[in-house]
Amino acid sequence: MQHGKYRFIVGFLALPLAIYAVFVISPFVQAIYYSFTDWTGLSSDYSWVGLENYDRLLDDEIFWKALRNNLLLLLVLPLVTLGLGLFFAFMLNVGGKRRRGAVIAGVRGSGFYKVVYFFPQVLSIAIVAVLFRYAYEPTEGGALNGFLRAIGLDSVQPLWLGDPDLALWCVMAVMVWCNVGFYVVLFSAGMSSIPRDFYEAALLDGANRFTTFFRITLPLLWDTVQTGWIYMGIIALDSFAVVQIMTIGPGGPDYSTEVLSFYLYTKSFRDGQAGQATALGVALLIVTLIFAGIVMRLGRRERLEF
Amino acid sequence: MGSDFNRRDLIKRATAAGLVAAPAATFLTSCASGDDGDGEKVEQGKKTDKNPLAVNESAGLEVVIFDGGFGDKYAKDAEVLYKQAYPKAKVSHSATTKIQTKLQPRFNGGTPPDLIDNSGAEQMDMGTLVGKDQLMDLTPMLDAPSIDDPTKKVRDTLRPGVVEMGQFTGKEVWILYYAYTVYGVWYSQTLLDKHGWEYPKTWDEMLTLCADAKKKGIAGWTYAGKHPYYLPFSMYPMMAKVGGREVLDAIDNLEPNAWHHPAVKAVIEAYYELAAKGYILKGTPGLDHIQSQTKWTEGKAIFIPNGSWVENEAKKTTPKDFQMAVSAPSGLDSSDKMPFGTIWASGGEPFIVPKRAKNPMGGMELLRIMLGEASSRNFVQQVSSLTSMNGGTEGVTLPPGLQSSNDALAAAGENIVNPRLQDWYVALQKEKIGIAALGEMMAGRMKPDECIKKIQKFADDTAKDDSVKKYKHT
Amino acid sequence: MTDTQTGAVPEGEPVTTQLVPPELPGIDKRDAPSAPGKRQSGSEGRVLNVFSHAFLVVWGLLVTLPVLWAIMTSLKTDSEILKSPWALPDELKWNNWSRAWQDANMGDYFMNSVIVVGGSLVGTMLLGAMAAYVIARFEFPGNRFIYYLFISGMSFPIILALVPLFFVMDNMGLLNTYHGLILVYIGYSLPFTVFFLTSFFRTLPTSVAEAAILDGASHTRTFFQVMLPMAKPGLISVGIFNFLGQWNQYLLPTVLNTGEGKQVLPQGLVELAATQGYDGDWSGLFAGLVLATLPVLAVYIVFQRQVQAGLTAGALK
Repeated sequence: MQHGKYRFIVGFLALPLAIYAVFVISPFVQAIYYSFTDWTGLSSDYSWVGLENYDRLLDDEIFWKALRNNLLLLLVLPLVTLGLGLFFAFMLNVGGKRRRGAVIAGVRGSGFYKVVYFFPQVLSIAIVAVLFRYAYEPTEGGALNGFLRAIGLDSVQPLWLGDPDLALWCVMAVMVWCNVGFYVVLFSAGMSSIPRDFYEAALLDGANRFTTFFRITLPLLWDTVQTGWIYMGIIALDSFAVVQIMTIGPGGPDYSTEVLSFYLYTKSFRDGQAGQATALGVALLIVTLIFAGIVMRLGRRERLEF
Repeated sequence: MGSDFNRRDLIKRATAAGLVAAPAATFLTSCASGDDGDGEKVEQGKKTDKNPLAVNESAGLEVVIFDGGFGDKYAKDAEVLYKQAYPKAKVSHSATTKIQTKLQPRFNGGTPPDLIDNSGAEQMDMGTLVGKDQLMDLTPMLDAPSIDDPTKKVRDTLRPGVVEMGQFTGKEVWILYYAYTVYGVWYSQTLLDKHGWEYPKTWDEMLTLCADAKKKGIAGWTYAGKHPYYLPFSMYPMMAKVGGREVLDAIDNLEPNAWHHPAVKAVIEAYYELAAKGYILKGTPGLDHIQSQTKWTEGKAIFIPNGSWVENEAKKTTPKDFQMAVSAPSGLDSSDKMPFGTIWASGGEPFIVPKRAKNPMGGMELLRIMLGEASSRNFVQQVSSLTSMNGGTEGVTLPPGLQSSNDALAAAGENIVNPRLQDWYVALQKEKIGIAALGEMMAGRMKPDECIKKIQKFADDTAKDDSVKKYKHT
Repeated sequence: MTDTQTGAVPEGEPVTTQLVPPELPGIDKRDAPSAPGKRQSGSEGRVLNVFSHAFLVVWGLLVTLPVLWAIMTSLKTDSEILKSPWALPDELKWNNWSRAWQDANMGDYFMNSVIVVGGSLVGTMLLGAMAAYVIARFEFPGNRFIYYLFISGMSFPIILALVPLFFVMDNMGLLNTYHGLILVYIGYSLPFTVFFLTSFFRTLPTSVAEAAILDGASHTRTFFQVMLPMAKPGLISVGIFNFLGQWNQYLLPTVLNTGEGKQVLPQGLVELAATQGYDGDWSGLFAGLVLATLPVLAVYIVFQRQVQAGLTAGALK
């Protein structure tokens, strides 16, 4: 019996673990190793160069630009997306006309809103990026400038992705567009499970709905928000598809939408510098880890305050 | 469940060890750069008069063609000829606009196709491919007899400069540019005729003309704003005209201060004036090449920096009566070092045969067929552009753009320049000089001084970067 | 490489865990009136109601308009598109769609996607459920280690692994093959699947399985005949999650699957967009875009409740 059990465990774990180790774990570990070599990715020769790749990164203006863009994304994207998500979820759940006797009420048709809001989340990021590439098109066929013209704003015809000051914000807008619905549904689910008596008690104390949001809803949702923050952070640190498909260059005018992930791809699959590319990847990993660490720390403090 | 067994059970430990060991073993054997992943090459065929490259007659041939301005029909037609010569061969053909996305990973994987037309906005960096030893030397093909005349070598049937353009440093010829492209200021003869203008020979005349046009509601210039590396097509030859060939050589050689040369500065300032005085079609920075060409053929702008592929690329949207023409760039004044007519003409559609291709000889043989009279003529007729083979135009009625290219070449005579930045350092030419500097300046977001400084810095950075292979004019 | 980076995601017991029922809440629960509460002034409620509807409608339009615009554009002629992007077409040009399906090979890309995602989805669910079941229900040395090994994969940027992964695939002869891509999809879907299903299996009662074992069923049989059917709700949730993730995957096939005729839908669409850049065939591009959207749209409309639940469940667990 005991023996059978171990055979069973091994039998069930072997294949998933093998696939996982070969295709996921091993490439990650190798990436770290190759970042210390001058491997081109085009042949099997490489030699150990120590920290040279990292050293070169320090002097690489484009790297710093990409990193700066990534950090900006990391800061703005979660803030805006989660903020809107919380706002809409709160509206859906407490913004309704008060019906007989209910303390709080959701708006009518909240289910429908959620279905609509969530929709972009199921679209491939490639589809979204292609769609918006043409929506941002500054010329005749573009939806945005066409819309501005239609409402009489002929003089306001921004270049959108063609303008280095706007391009990154355009990228962010698309990513917010995709993701808000997810958080609306997520936070809604969380909110609807907050026991009604909590609200009743607060309202008895004379609090209005907005103070209840900060005193009850947000603190109770804090863990979910924190999780969402990490999810959005990971999305912000990637943003490869949007940049590669949608932006001009790609990488934007004057590197205004260059991000680490796309720069890594360019280095290894255009410039034949796989070693250098993996060093970029490691830099990206470090940023990810620092970010996760900060979110965790902030999260802990917030919870203590509550 | 599971709590009834002994924690120190031996079997358990063995199993655990096995669990860790199994993936570890796979891990080691699948280490990334373990081998080259080289596909095996096909065997050589028999060398005969008809088959001077000893192509394996039954080996498959894989061709990838850039599906841009010239389409891919001309290549398909040549492949038919290949199949006639080698009926047992299976030719697989594909066309794409995303050369780099599709093919670069195949170079990394060691299984590239046999012949590639490496062109377009997404071309692979030729400097990298040569520098990393990824290409075949095409010399055997150039030294083989021409398909039309067994007494002549292929290299002797080509237009002047074509072979040299395929070289980087050293004698090997890595690239064969199939199309022969005339770069310069493309203009609307239709508009000039309508308003009684003449093509301006000096920049002052250019500005006067643009001012006049502006009054009539026509923009002087437009360009591919999303791909501002089209601007050098008319700027580089103007730099040469003003300051002599050495100016461009210095730029190509990444010499310090090459961009601070007075001629370079004068040209960049001249172009900035177009932007500053509002002679550029509104919204141009947001246009891509197709959109800007369409505006141009619609008569919204007179001049556009472009290459001779434009005639075919814009065919679909060009009005029937539109007369397009190309001219050498205007000069500054009589102190210019080279005469009016100085023009940039060089190869377009760079064809390469990868070193690790399965059937490289087949790739070269197809090139040899393409450089024959029949294929060349077919190309001229189909896409209104010249090939690198000297000829192919006899007895063909040329459309206006091509006729004007031919005339411009004749007028230029010896004064043909050939800047190499775009094949030696693609990244520098396109995303740095083009998008990050010239594009920004022409969009009015940067002053000429700043633009020059920025470009010089980009060039210096490239010169310093030891991971980029360097080439020099000799 | 441990849970500390991801903290609350895999490990902590978030406050909401107790608040959210395991089946996940129904969508309109909120509308139901509950116990009588204290009256508030009616006007505040009304103002708030108008206010919230206004905001909700605006965002609703922001979400739907681009999609409607794409659908409308896909039925116009090129010149109509360029003339006025928001005008309705004079007549519906359905042949844009057939052109995209055939000439632009959207049909082929679609089939490739079906093959790859079909294979990887079955594989992911089967292997993920097997691993999760063992991790959740059996104690053995290394159990925790293996669990954390799996879930650590959730927080790493895939792009970092990309270059070496390319060569791992190359050396194993898996580049540009359906089965290669399927294996990779499985590998990268396992972390979340294992994480989700492990906690799901833990919530299932143990008595049924124990009874089956006592009746003499083998562990394997118990798993397939007793546990898997019991885990159906969880499997559906994570299955939908994986379907969407794999169907929409762009980065991995872009690098690992460049073979002629093997490309999947998102790649095909991007290729179509690039070709459009040279042909000026706007209507064909938008038709392709809409065609690429339809399958997910259909899945979403049919399963919207499960999709929402499946995609958000991971964050709530």
